[in-house]
Amino acid sequence: MAKREIPEVNAGSMADIAFLLLIFFLVTTTMDKDQAYIRSIPKNIEVTTPPVPVQERDICAIQANSKNQLMIRGRLMSDPELISDEIVKFFRTNEKQNDPTNDFPMYSRISMSEIDALLNQAIKEAEETEATPNAMEEIIDFKYRQVAEWEKKKSALKLYGKNKLPEISVQAHIRIDVQKGTEYGLFAKIQSEVEEAFFELRDDAAKSIFNESYAKIKGRYAMDESKPDKEKLALLKILYPDRIIEVTPKQ
Amino acid sequence: MSKFKKDSGKTVPGVNTASLPDIVFMLLFFFMVATTSKESDPSVKVVQPEGARTTDMTPFKQRSEIDFLYLGKPLNKARAAQYAKMGMEYLLFMDNVAQSKPDQLYNTNTIKTWKKDKFESKPPRMKKPIENVITCIKADKGAPSGLIFDIRKELQDIDALTVAYAVRESGKK
Repeated sequence: MAKREIPEVNAGSMADIAFLLLIFFLVTTTMDKDQAYIRSIPKNIEVTTPPVPVQERDICAIQANSKNQLMIRGRLMSDPELISDEIVKFFRTNEKQNDPTNDFPMYSRISMSEIDALLNQAIKEAEETEATPNAMEEIIDFKYRQVAEWEKKKSALKLYGKNKLPEISVQAHIRIDVQKGTEYGLFAKIQSEVEEAFFELRDDAAKSIFNESYAKIKGRYAMDESKPDKEKLALLKILYPDRIIEVTPKQ
Repeated sequence: MSKFKKDSGKTVPGVNTASLPDIVFMLLFFFMVATTSKESDPSVKVVQPEGARTTDMTPFKQRSEIDFLYLGKPLNKARAAQYAKMGMEYLLFMDNVAQSKPDQLYNTNTIKTWKKDKFESKPPRMKKPIENVITCIKADKGAPSGLIFDIRKELQDIDALTVAYAVRESGKK
């Protein structure tokens, strides 16, 4: 058979096809990133027992009214930028040494031998509960959660490298209390300041303990969830726990 | 006698467009990589407040673990006037909502069904427990916080316990 020349495919319309696709993607996509603050809503449970009273010193109340006026820990504040400084102060005041005369939350300092003793006690209790006939599933769960908690603290103190692990009072929390008419802009600003305060606190701690910035550790953990990074973040969280309560407005 | 010949009869050669597809493809790939798909075009106007130290929602979006709620003034003037009479200045808009009754559309009462529908419609292997599915509220600067808490209440009732408040990342610090 005679050799026949294969005609070349006309690529003139390739550009048109590519343009079409390009324009389709331009129209259906956006460049802007979605940035947000993630918060969890407490589970809806029926409470029969009266709530445990919380000491005044353990509350860092950030209040805003429907006229967008701010009040932090009972003091009026005109500049919302100062909220983060107040939160940092809330955590820092008694961190080095407890002073019962001021109204900031107390710290407890626990040593390794104390943690060990409590951990062993928790394990013993959990095993006993499991061994008792017809023990409730929830109670066993609860006991084992406590064991896990102590184990977490143990590894945190090991990583911390000091004799004692300072821990803020378990009740210490930040309370965001707004009214129905408060603008979302201010509400978001409060959230932003809270986030900034925690970043500052944890960043300082991360720099002094690990010689790394908090953002770096967090970024690396987001890329690959390695164990040392997880422990580092857990320690920072134990040192500065982000307990945030958002109060549902009544008026 | 001139030294220069007039090249009469010769035409200007056409521009070679062989590399045009390459250029356009390059642009196409850039946009495909750098952008994310829009979840929907809300019919309410949302001007987001600014905030620092935010969490990036893009990874959640790519795993479609996130539902968007918009809260703002309606773009449609007639509709705005109609709802303003009822005392509703800020309206809700839910992404990918399939509803028949318009009076339910902008109401917080619809959130439960909307959220449940979205949850049910996901394929089983992509399903996460409902309390971990993020509901992202994109609210206007001026929207009252009371509405945010109304939404929270609805979400709490169906155990969708993770919420995200959207802001625009501010450049400071």
